[in-house]
Order: sequence, then structure tokens, then C-alpha cells
Amino acid sequence: MPEIILEHVSKRFEKFVAVDDLNLQIANNDFITLLGPSGCGKTTTLRMIAGLETPTEGRILIGGKVVFDAAKGINLPPIKRDVGFLFQNYALWPHMTVYQNIAFGLENLKWDKARIRSRVDELLKLMRIEEFEKRYPSELSGGQQQRVAIARTLAPGPKVLFMDEPLSNLDAKLRMEMRTELKRLHKDTDSTFVYVTHDQLEAMTLSTRVCIMKNGLLQQYAPPLVMYNDPANLFVADFMGNPSMNFTDGTWENGTVTFGGLSARFTPDEEAAIPRDVVVGIRPEYISLNSEGAYTGKVYSTLPSGMETTVKLDVNGTPLTAVVFGDVDWPVDTEVRFDFTKSALLYDRESGKRITRGKLGR
Amino acid sequence: MTASTAGTPPERSLARTGGKLRAWFSKPANVILLLFCIALIVLTLYPLFSMLSEMFLVHSPERSMVRKMGLKVGDFTTVHFDKLLFTLDDGIGGDFTTSNSWINFYQPLLNTLLVSVSASAIAILFGGVVAFLITRTNISCKKFISGVFVFPYIMPSWTLATFWQTFFKNTQIGLGTSNGIMASVFGVYMPEWFVYGPFPIALVLGLHYAPFAYILIGGILRNMDANLEEAATILKTGRSRIIRKITLPIVKPAMLSTLLLVFASSMSAYSVPVFLGNPVRYYTLSTKMKSMMDTYPGQAYIMVAVMIIFGVGILLINQKVTNSRKQFTTVTGKSGQVSLIDLNAGKRIIAAVLVIILLMVAVVPLVTFALESVIIKAGDYSLSNMTLDFWLGKGLTYLDQGDDTGILLSAKVWKALGYSLLLAVSCALIAGTCGVLIGYGVARRRGSRLANWVNNLSFFPYLMPSLAFGAIYLSMSSKLSVPLGLGVLILAGSIKYMPFATRSGVSAMLQLSGEIEEAAVITGVSWWKRMLRVIFPIQKSSFLSGYLLPMVSCMRELSLFVLLVPTSNTILTTMLMQYSEKGWAQFGNAINLLIIVVVLLINFVVNKLTGASIDKGVGG
Repeated sequence: MPEIILEHVSKRFEKFVAVDDLNLQIANNDFITLLGPSGCGKTTTLRMIAGLETPTEGRILIGGKVVFDAAKGINLPPIKRDVGFLFQNYALWPHMTVYQNIAFGLENLKWDKARIRSRVDELLKLMRIEEFEKRYPSELSGGQQQRVAIARTLAPGPKVLFMDEPLSNLDAKLRMEMRTELKRLHKDTDSTFVYVTHDQLEAMTLSTRVCIMKNGLLQQYAPPLVMYNDPANLFVADFMGNPSMNFTDGTWENGTVTFGGLSARFTPDEEAAIPRDVVVGIRPEYISLNSEGAYTGKVYSTLPSGMETTVKLDVNGTPLTAVVFGDVDWPVDTEVRFDFTKSALLYDRESGKRITRGKLGR
Repeated sequence: MTASTAGTPPERSLARTGGKLRAWFSKPANVILLLFCIALIVLTLYPLFSMLSEMFLVHSPERSMVRKMGLKVGDFTTVHFDKLLFTLDDGIGGDFTTSNSWINFYQPLLNTLLVSVSASAIAILFGGVVAFLITRTNISCKKFISGVFVFPYIMPSWTLATFWQTFFKNTQIGLGTSNGIMASVFGVYMPEWFVYGPFPIALVLGLHYAPFAYILIGGILRNMDANLEEAATILKTGRSRIIRKITLPIVKPAMLSTLLLVFASSMSAYSVPVFLGNPVRYYTLSTKMKSMMDTYPGQAYIMVAVMIIFGVGILLINQKVTNSRKQFTTVTGKSGQVSLIDLNAGKRIIAAVLVIILLMVAVVPLVTFALESVIIKAGDYSLSNMTLDFWLGKGLTYLDQGDDTGILLSAKVWKALGYSLLLAVSCALIAGTCGVLIGYGVARRRGSRLANWVNNLSFFPYLMPSLAFGAIYLSMSSKLSVPLGLGVLILAGSIKYMPFATRSGVSAMLQLSGEIEEAAVITGVSWWKRMLRVIFPIQKSSFLSGYLLPMVSCMRELSLFVLLVPTSNTILTTMLMQYSEKGWAQFGNAINLLIIVVVLLINFVVNKLTGASIDKGVGG
């Protein structure tokens, strides 16, 4: 039911273009992440859908209802959009107790006291903060404040929930925990989530679809694994994944790409016109180190992290990063052999756009 | 432990103590703190106690009063308390309202409370509403309103009072000597309650302190996290409910704090009730105290003590308020722009009303003073009645106002201006430098008992009403038989305004990490050089404001100096006071204008040089 549609939405602050001609369809029950570096327009987009910011141009529909239309001069206030919003710094009211914070929105809906009481109790239990009911926000830890903020947002039962980097103020361990909770919450509340973050891992792990933006422009809108395995351009490819993808300038000729002093056969997955100048993109985990490998390089340094080891290679002066499962430690300057497994991507060197995916091999 | 060969245990511990002492004194911060601790005790605590003792002594003006009791000058007595507080009948069969205690103490005390409460309410309402309009609505002319609104706070506090008197006075009320502009030009004779007494005093004080409320409340509103209000919007809260339930409660601590500070300042205000109360014998504690200082010093000192108790009490409450949990830190969120309330057509109308009020309060007074200083016969504003003689005349016989020379040619006025400037500059130099040094000491020894003592002692003068502070120094100088003169004025001014300098000095030094100085210590730079070449340049602007605030304040100060200024060496402000008491209207107005222009000029130059502006952070 609450499908969100953005049509040609733009937002300009004087001369600065924050969001440029954005088209987006968010299906019911989706968990969408707006992802991008700071200043890419993701928060502005979220605030425009919620009605906290007025777009310069375009049309926004929520659940089939036009909430904004620049051409027709329609601009519904946030009150009439039936949405919930979770702020980055929680924005808990410091002069109200946890109970009062959560109950505030329900009072606005003119619920009776008993109903408010039972709804707040329900949320306190859901978020496991029953014992803090009478405390003030300043007497809670960051994680507890976070839970109160979520409870307050969920209280009126909004069908659409907007979240603006809600986990960025938490420490790493707590963030992990809250991610699990949010994903669970998405299932339990049966609503549509729109989530803003600059953390690609968060986007990968949480969402059903990711919308990646740069300088106000939509770069790619796809499910996270599609985006990871088949990024639409160099920016997306670079942004998704850690350690990031290897990019090497190469040349394409007669089914062979030459890059970093080695040449390999490239079998495209699909038919495509491939120009001469390309950028070869290879995920670090698709470089496999083995004694029978076809190619050789020198170990520049190894970074073991326990579960996996990142190996930085020097292949004829070109750096390549490989990831090996387990803790293997090579001494610096060891000669190693490697192969390319699974897939690689070719990008147009001029435009940075994806040309095709394919296999690299002997 | 092995036995040491370095002497017997007592010798060793002595050597250790000596070494510790040497180490302690080798740190400049310790030496500074110790010196200031001693100096401040001598200059603030000692005078306070010496003044308190005056309440129990017989002074020479009181000889005749206590002769029957067999007391001499200097004897211990509690008669002042009896007279002032417990003489509840007049001894000739009248009722309570004609008794000495009622007339000299309870009536003025009630007047003071009434005036102060009303003034605080006016200041909060006016300042708060304007702060809200500027920060939360799309009202027109924000820049202008914000800039001019703080004018009354920069100008001397009596500006509005003298304007009010000059503008509305008429022959049917008060002293009834002459008609003001309202009566003579417009033919409207305002009733006495409107021109003199509690109403105008409260109004004028309220208007004078409204900018203060505006700056405090506006600052909170501006820095308040916009997300707090947006969160309520998302939860379907109406506009008025957001203001009532979210915005107001969050600014409440700032409002309370403003209320208390305005109340304390109004209570100790002297010049406003002098101009607007004395003509109709409406006295507050401070004006009554001043008038009793010559005849019944013992009772006057009791009134000073009462004022100090009020001042300290209010500031203690304020500290409690600002330190409690209810004080909210309002961190700015990432959405800087709050959606402003659209006043629609109202945005121009309200702005126009405000601009008119501001012009009345800030500009019209200056014009009035100028006008009043050029007319020959009071109440006649025709061009033929105007002259520049009061400014530029020489050898004038018809003026009938003591002097025969216009103020710009009068050696007396120039001398007073010179003294005023000398006083302001000296106080600024002393207070400012002390502020930097105390800031250094307190920041370096943060948390130590000595640092806390010095910090609190240096703030102490802020708690004392100016007039009371002047009275203390008066009593001390007579006790130590130091003749009144520029020296005493400079000392009093420096100590009284030191809290401004200390506050900016301490906060500037606390911002500066100790490592910056340590980096210089490592390379062997001497303390003087570290202060002059490293620390001062980095926090120059903060330190400068510590110098300039005392200077501007000194320049326009009246209550602090009024008791201390010797008749031979008047400064401009006390000169204005004398002229006004003698009813020399034209000269008075001319000097008034001169002071205001000098103060505004200094303020303007300060702004241009340091970029510090009093309304910064609030303006639209």
C-alpha cells in the first residue's frame, strides 16, 4: 500500500544543487537504503519525502497520494504524510521522561489515557527499555536513547519509517547489535523503511534495495548483491566493498585484455561493443593465490585480520589487492603465483560506465 | 628499603618540604594564584567585612541622634537596626505608615521589589517575543531589528529615563519646573503616574534589560537542535502545541536565569529611579540608601547589606538553576534551517510596529537630547528659541545655569571627559590584565582549591550592587584615611569589572590546550615570552574583549562612582548627575548626549577592531 514514488525531484539551495532529477520507486515493505558519501543529497532526499524540506521541482507520491507536486503547487505538511522519522541525534526531548517522549505522539492523536498506557508499555517491552520509563534522556546511554527514539517513532504505527543515519553515533559493537534489531523490526512491523547511511556495509547488510547517490545524482538503484557483483559504474564499484575493487587501466584487443604487464583472455557474459581503452575491475576475493597460478607477482605487504588476510601484490609495478581466507602470512617480497577466478568487469575508461561482465582466464 | 646516608629522618623531611615548596613556587601559575588570592581577599572580602562593621558603629553625622544614649563617635551600637528596621510607630501617635522604618526601609524595599519584578517581566516578555520572532518566523527587517534592539543595552541605563522625563514632564506634576516636548508641542499633559514613579521606572528598566533577555533567549533558540521541533512535527503536533510543549520548556531555564539576573540588576539600579522617582519622592532601596548616606551612614550601610544579601541570594539560586539537570545542552543538529513560521501579511506589520518601538527607544532619545540642549527657554521649540550657546557659547550671561561657557569650550567638561577616559582606560588595563593572569592561573591549576578560591573571589564583585560596592570603598577609604580621588575610583572600577575580564580570560585559557605552552617550555622559552609570544596572540580576541568590556562599562558607569567621586575631580557621568539635580537642563542634555556618543563610538570602534558584536549569534 504505501508505495513511494519520486518523479524528477530536484532540490537547489541557491546555486548549489543538492538533488538532481531523481526518479525512485520504493515498493511496499521494502527496506531501502540511500547510500553515498557526505554531501551527496541522501539526507535531503529523505527530508523531502518526509516533508521537512521542500523540493524545487518534481512530484512525490506516497501510497498513491500526491504529497508534493511543484507544478500543481501541492505540498502536504509532514503531519498529513503519515510517516515516522528517526533522527541521527535521536532528538529526544530533554525535558520529558522516556514515557512522556513515547506518549507525546499518541496524545496528538487524541488517544485515551489507557490506550496510550498500553501502547507505550508494548513499545517499552519491544525495545527492552521497560526499566527506564521514568528516566530523562540525559540519564540514558547512547544505545538506550536510540531505543527510546525508535519506540517514539514507532508508537503511532507509521506505515513508512524514515531513518537518518540512526546508528552513526553508536560504537561498533552496539551498531552491530542495533542492525540486527532494525532488520528484525522491519519484518515485525510490516512497514516500509527508508534508511540513510554512508556506510556501505550497513547498506549491504540491511536493505532489500540500495540507492547509491553522488553529487545529487542517482548512480544505481538495485538489490545490494547485484550492486556488489555488477556495479553500474566505477564510482559504485569503488564505493561498495571493503577492501575495494582493483581497478587497472587496460587495453582490449581480439578477446584479450592487457593490463599491469600481463595479458588474459576475457570472455564477456553478454554481447557488448568493447572499446580499446578500458578499466579492468577485479574484486580482491576473485584473485586466488595458488602455487599453480598462471601469473606471478611479489608480495608488497600482508594484512592478516584473523578470519581473512588481505595481500597487497606488486605485479610488474601495478598494485593488486587479493583477499585470502584464513591467516596466511607471506614474508615481504615473496614471489607468489595467482589466478583470476569467477568474474571481472570492464569499464569504459572515458565515461567510467560499465561495459560488460565476464571471465578472465588463460 | 636500605638505610640512607643522607642525614637523619627529620632533616630529610625538612629538606623534602623545602624542595616541595621550591617546586611549588617555581610554577608561575601557583605564584599568580597566591598573589591574587591575597589581593582579592584584601580588596573584596576585607571591605565587605569592614562595611558590615559600619552597621554597628556611631558615625559623626549621627552624634546628635545618640547623644542621649551616652554614645560617642566610633562606639559600638545596635541603634541603627532599631531605627531602620524596628521603629514601627512615629512616636507622635501616627500609624505605621508614618514611622521611620516604614518610610526609610519597608516602603523603599516594597517599591524596589515591585519595580524589579515588573521590570523583569517586561524584559522577558519583550526580549523573548522579539527573540522568537527573529529566530522562528519570517518577519521582515531581521538585520535591522536585531542590530538596533541591543542599542538600549549599550547606552547608559539612564538614557531612557532622562528621555522619558524630558519628553513627558510638564508643569502640572513632579517638580513642575517646565514643560517637555509632549506638553509644549502636542499640548498633552501626561498624568503623574505615567511620567514619574513605579510605572515608568519599571518600563524603562524593562526596556533597558530586554536586549539582555533577547541575547540569552535568542541564543538558546538559535542553537536549539531543530530536530527537536521536527520530531514533534512528524508526530503530528500542531504549531502552538510545539511551542508550548517543546520550545518553551527547553528555553525555560534560560528564561529563569534571565529573570533572576534582570531582577538583581533592576534591584540595584540607581540612576533610573533617581531620575524618575525622586521628583515625586518615590524611593527605592538604592536611592534611599544614597540619600541617607550623608545623614545616617549606619542605617545606609544596613540597606547596603540587605541589597548584597538579595544579590548573593539571587545569584546562588541562579547557579542552582543553571547547574541542575533541567539545564539542557542543546547541540545543534545537522538541519540548520528550522522551517520558519509564515506570518503572511503580518510579517511586515509586526516588523513595522517593532521598528517604530525601536526607533522610539533608541533614536528618538538622542534627538530629544540634542533638541533640549539647544533651546533657550524651556518648552519653546521654535527656531527663534534655539541656540548653540550651550555647546559652543562663551562668556554668556543670560544662561543663568552656573556656567557661562558651552560644554565643548568648557575646560571643566573637557577635564571631566579626560578623567572619564583616563578612568576607563586604567580600569580596562588593570582588570583586563588581571583577567588574563587569573585565567592563566586558574586554567593551569584547574580543580585545585586555590584556583577555585581565586576564581570565586574574582567573581564576587559581580554579586554586589554597584552602589553598595561604591559604599564599601567609601567606608574603607574613610577608615584608612585615604583621600578620595582618581586612585580610589580606578581601584573600585577595576575590581568591580574584573569578573568580565576573568570570565573571558578563564574561558579563553581553558580552550587553549596545555600542550601549546608545554611545547614552548620544552624548548626553554621563558614564562614572559611564553605569555607574550605564544599564549596572548593565540587567544587575542577573547583577551581583548576582557579589556574592552570593562572600558565601555566604566565609561557609562554612574552608580559605582557616584559616592566616590570627589567634588574637585568630577567625571562626566557624575557631572551629568549634578547638573540634573540642579535643574540645568540644557547643559545636562548636552553632556548626556556627549556621553552616549562617546560610549557608542567606543563600542563601534571595538566592533570594527575586534569583530565582536553584542548581538552576534542572534541576528537574522
